[in-house]
Amino acid sequence: MIAPLIAFRNIFRHKTRSLITLSTIVFGCVALIFAGGFFEDVYFKMRESYIKSYTGHIQIFKKGFLEHGRTQPYNFLIDDYEKICREVESIKTVKFITPRFEFSGLVSTGENTISFMGMGVETKNEKANNEITNNLRQSSNNLTVGGVVMLSGEQFKESETYSITLGKGLAQAIGAKTGDGLVLLTNTVNGSVNALDVNVKGIFYTSSKAFDDHFMRMNLKTSQKLLGTNAVQSLVVMLNDTSNTKITLNLLKQKFSSQGFDLELRSWEEVSDFYNQTVTLFNRLFLILKIVITIIVILSIFNTMNMAVFERISEIGTIMALGTKQSGVISLFMYEGLFLGILGGTIGLFAGGIVTTIISSIGIPMPPPPGATMMWLSEPKLIPSMFVFSFTLSVLTSIISTVYPAYTASRLEIADALRNK
Amino acid sequence: MAIVSLDNVRKEYLLGKTALLALKGISLKVEQGEFIALAGPSGSGKTTVLNIIGCFDKPTSGSVSIEGRPITELSNNQLAQLRADKIGFIFQGFNLLPVLTALENIEYPLLNRNFLPSERLRRAKEALENVGLGKFAKHKPLELSGGQQQRVAIARAIAGQPQLILADEPTANLDHKTGTEILALMKKINQEKKTTFIFSTHDQKIMDMADRLIKIWDGEII
Repeated sequence: MIAPLIAFRNIFRHKTRSLITLSTIVFGCVALIFAGGFFEDVYFKMRESYIKSYTGHIQIFKKGFLEHGRTQPYNFLIDDYEKICREVESIKTVKFITPRFEFSGLVSTGENTISFMGMGVETKNEKANNEITNNLRQSSNNLTVGGVVMLSGEQFKESETYSITLGKGLAQAIGAKTGDGLVLLTNTVNGSVNALDVNVKGIFYTSSKAFDDHFMRMNLKTSQKLLGTNAVQSLVVMLNDTSNTKITLNLLKQKFSSQGFDLELRSWEEVSDFYNQTVTLFNRLFLILKIVITIIVILSIFNTMNMAVFERISEIGTIMALGTKQSGVISLFMYEGLFLGILGGTIGLFAGGIVTTIISSIGIPMPPPPGATMMWLSEPKLIPSMFVFSFTLSVLTSIISTVYPAYTASRLEIADALRNK
Repeated sequence: MAIVSLDNVRKEYLLGKTALLALKGISLKVEQGEFIALAGPSGSGKTTVLNIIGCFDKPTSGSVSIEGRPITELSNNQLAQLRADKIGFIFQGFNLLPVLTALENIEYPLLNRNFLPSERLRRAKEALENVGLGKFAKHKPLELSGGQQQRVAIARAIAGQPQLILADEPTANLDHKTGTEILALMKKINQEKKTTFIFSTHDQKIMDMADRLIKIWDGEII
């Protein structure tokens, strides 16, 4: 055990230099843990607010809707949706299922008329009474938890058949505010024209600017009344946890197939192009960051170990004269690199955890992401996989960067090395 | 059979494009238990002879045998094992590992032998006692005087009970009194254990303690 002992004690021989090397490793770990937590927070907030404001975890349609629904939306409606809802609600991972109806039409204030997208929802599940407040953290959380948050006014109640809420962008475009009256004009499912006088109960906000610019929300019954049908267009399934999406999707597919339901499903991932692209982009950025950090750590340790070899030439000559083989010299330096990596990695994990927790508790105000207009608060998360990755990277880079100096040390000529003072 | 045998050994170094002949055909036989001093001025070739006998430098020509084994035919690993098993070293600058205690320094070369850890420790302690530094087992080299460091180095050399100990100017960094004590200690070990000592020096009083004096001048034995 003397070789590891020598290696360990050598780390503390040049305290300042070892401290600088350890600082580099610790800095690398902190940067990785923090950056990993930051990106995960971005993904989490974006994903959850999308799911909760628009896509749900799983969407259920009449078979054929996904292929032809864009051109013939009313030819693929679900009539017996209550029976389907009962079946879906019996699955443990399902939080709730809610019917929706999406349609388009014209909205008029009397002075202005523009096109809109309407979404009929059942209020009993899709509550949106969260508010944008002056507290950035609270607003951020509201968006993540509720998906839809109210900018002004309030969410319509189930009994309010003639009340709607407008997306922020749509309200601005038409010049409407809470309390105003509007006229909605649309085609019914049979092709005739229908109009409805409604009242603006509130103006809402989601994480998607595109959604806010085009959508209004109303009671499902209001949309059915406007479109002249009792059917619904889709059923949106919300789960207890987003991580259960795949397993629930497969379960539903099996259930529908065995019970002969003529339905098709898609998960939030399949419709969240923007989210997927953002994740791909950020993951690529993170990869570059990982590479840069790895190079910095490798160069730092390489420099330290090279200097250690240079300073210990006489010692290397001595131990080789005393019968230590070349492999023994290599292992001596490899132990030192390994210990540096383990020590730096361990300190780095604690430092990374503490720094990330502190910054997360304070929060970092962030500008609106692409496609959104609201500032948000970044609260980097502690990701166990990043801890494992950072520690592994510390140890591996330390070992890799020690290989060449250790090899150089083992190739020294003993007589030359002993002459070196 | 001689423990060390050098036959017409020549050693040439290249300094840039210039060849420097450090040894010009040295022949020497050393028997078990001898106490030999290599004497000569700086640059005469004493250290080169010791390096070649110590198996960490190879001759340009000529043959060298340790216990009848020609060293030029051995691989680096075999030479390392030969050094670990058969040869002890004492250096002018003591060359103790600064991060290890006195006891650990003595134990270190025994790692290259197949001793059990308990046997290693026993030998190291015994060697330290033999050089009179039993109380200094846990001291690091920098906490010891020059004379004490050289005693630890001697303990390190004798702990493995080698047949041959090579000492390159072991007293050069010590005052005369301490140097004489160190030589006396080496002589005592030589007499008690029949360990062969070959040491280089240019101190006349130390030369006088040797059984055999070999004078080297400009790469040749005179």
